[in-house]
Amino acid sequence: MTLDKFLVVAAALFCCGLYTVMTRRNAVAVLMGVELILNAANINFVAFSHFLSRVMGGQIFAVFVIVLAAAEAAVALAIFLRLFATTGTVEVDTADQLKG
Amino acid sequence: MTPIAMDTGALVRGLYCILPEMVVIGTAILVLLADLLLPEEGKKRLCHLSVAGVAAAILSALWLGPGKIEGFSGMIVHDGMGLFFTLTILAAALLTLMMATGYSEWEGTQKGEFYALILLSTSGMLFMAEGTDLMTVFLGLETLSIPIYCLVGFHRGRMRSLEGAMKYFLLGAFSSGFFLYGIALMYAAAGTTRIPVIASMMRDARLYGNPVFLAGIGLLLVGFAFKVSLVPFHMWTPDAYEGAPTLVTAFMGAAVKAAAFAALLRVVLLTFPAILPAMSGVLWVLAALTMTVGNFSALLQNNMKRMLAYSSIAHAGYILVGLTAGGVAGGQAVLFYVLVYAFMNLGAFGVIMLVAQREDDGYDIDNFAGIGFRYPVLGGLLSLFLVSLAGIPPTAGFVGKFYLFGAAVRSGYVGLAVLGVLNSAVSVYYYLRPVVSMYMAPAPEGIPVPRPPRSAFSFALCASAAAVLLLGVMPASALEFAERSVLSLLM
Amino acid sequence: MNGPSDFIFYAAAALTVGSAILVATLPNIIYAAVALLFAFAGVAGLYVFLSADFLAATQVLVYVGGILVLILFAVFLSNRLADVKISNPGHFHLPAAAVCLVLFGVLSYTAVSTPFAVKTAVYLPTTADIGEMLMTRYLLPFEVASVLLLAALIGAALLSRPERGTPEKADMEEGRG
Repeated sequence: MTLDKFLVVAAALFCCGLYTVMTRRNAVAVLMGVELILNAANINFVAFSHFLSRVMGGQIFAVFVIVLAAAEAAVALAIFLRLFATTGTVEVDTADQLKG
Repeated sequence: MTPIAMDTGALVRGLYCILPEMVVIGTAILVLLADLLLPEEGKKRLCHLSVAGVAAAILSALWLGPGKIEGFSGMIVHDGMGLFFTLTILAAALLTLMMATGYSEWEGTQKGEFYALILLSTSGMLFMAEGTDLMTVFLGLETLSIPIYCLVGFHRGRMRSLEGAMKYFLLGAFSSGFFLYGIALMYAAAGTTRIPVIASMMRDARLYGNPVFLAGIGLLLVGFAFKVSLVPFHMWTPDAYEGAPTLVTAFMGAAVKAAAFAALLRVVLLTFPAILPAMSGVLWVLAALTMTVGNFSALLQNNMKRMLAYSSIAHAGYILVGLTAGGVAGGQAVLFYVLVYAFMNLGAFGVIMLVAQREDDGYDIDNFAGIGFRYPVLGGLLSLFLVSLAGIPPTAGFVGKFYLFGAAVRSGYVGLAVLGVLNSAVSVYYYLRPVVSMYMAPAPEGIPVPRPPRSAFSFALCASAAAVLLLGVMPASALEFAERSVLSLLM
Repeated sequence: MNGPSDFIFYAAAALTVGSAILVATLPNIIYAAVALLFAFAGVAGLYVFLSADFLAATQVLVYVGGILVLILFAVFLSNRLADVKISNPGHFHLPAAAVCLVLFGVLSYTAVSTPFAVKTAVYLPTTADIGEMLMTRYLLPFEVASVLLLAALIGAALLSRPERGTPEKADMEEGRG
């Protein structure tokens, strides 16, 4: 187990998340992609903290990211459910009252 | 297990340094408590309480002064630049809350949560503007964003409001991911998230030549680009701006932009000089694209809110011109323009809030036909703000643009400055269209009567107008303040 | 380190990446949510190899136990279960895949080619250290995070609570129509 293996795993996770965000139309699925990206960043933080430095700044950062992810998920659930109650859909494209 | 060593002196100094933030957060909690105690008809006191709290925060920021105070083991610093942005953000919050006195009554946002969320978001902006560690900047960014997601969706029964909230949320969360991955890579290369430490390491070629570091900076920039809506990361802006309650739109345009540019400026001015050759090209292209796409899209809009949304994209492009120029002159121009933009943007939104009778189609440009002569004060104010946004003298918008493009020319980016001037010329067309419609077009039958403003609302509008004129006629002291702020950061 | 621990590392990494690919590609969103569960669990496994015992536990408790449950709630509540098709049609797959593959190439190339100054890894319990640092050096971010949570609580409660007093307004209808 070397650092670069962890980084490659993180990069793979990041790109899966990115692909999910770019291709999915369901808002909840897009949120899943975002969670994958946050996890990828966290692996990076923890790996660097483990391999490169004695102080644990990276791990602390990861703790805050988990806090943020929980907060975002709660707000997301509230927004999506309210939108679903109003329109009956959470598809990103079908919600198209707003147009440029 | 050894007991944790707490340095009381350092803790007190830290708390002293975040005094404005604490006042704002304290007010938010007070508002929530008062919301429980006050009867339904006394709810407008909540707004007064928030205004008083923000005013107290402004006083405390002034009391701290421009001297450099570091707190919490270098997580946050109150320096000249911090003070400048603190004052800008708090002024924007103050004007927003004063306008809320009237807006809340008309649109039913007379709720404790509304004010509490605005205040919490403001505190996040302050943390972001003063943070000297990427961790503080990131948490500040999220603390400012999450309340805004909810505020955009505040009109819960209104389809567009929720839709704007969803789009803003998804793209905001997505951009946070980029931002975070960028910070992780920078942490990998530098071993720290302290901005000053990274900056001092930038003299070492091993760091700025490091591909991991460059990839990190790139991803960080993408995250910022989403937040300040630079093209091609601007897709969320028009939808979120149009969907949000107008007051929130005004707040987003003025304050969120100020906070994001504060953090961006701190990172760029401190770390970029070493990697400028690689980065200036990227910033150049971003600035050129943002100005051009923003202005040309604004040309096509018939809805005032949407037009101002695209114009805010274009203005982010102008500000980026100053960032590209870099150095003291560029930084000074950016600071001054952020301040000016806050006033003219809030003012313009304030007037259209009064004229439009309802959300959504109330903001069509046709609704503004003929109000110029019938309501001379409103017409005059809106014309003033739009003229300033277009950058025509003797308003502050002109002075701001003059310094931005001047800084670009001085740093050798003549092409970019020319492009900026051409873009301003294009923007005159769509800014003057409502003005022409107000004064030239015949008023249709049954012209809607603008809402009678509350006294605080009128005061906020007059204060914005006075600021736009004063900063346009005698900008010297504000410019000097901005220059000293940038110097305090660079030293 | 060789032998079993290497094998377990590769298993955890494969579980994480494989599940993430499934999240990205499975057409049925409920299956995607379940795949996300395995991805989170795999990440928790990776944390163990990085001497992050506290984070591994937090990952399981908060991500798997909290966030994933919220996401599942959102999936179930926002899809009419009576509808057979709980599918998740996407669009422009090819360009997105190309962008992601290129980015993956760039990121992993930089990761592999950069000579990091790796220090010898130590495995020590971290929970006490994290707790102490949250109270000292990282006190400010800790407090800001609490403000963040407060804001999220207020916002989520505000959006999901039924309207006080007045019934839902007429523009509700406009949205439906």
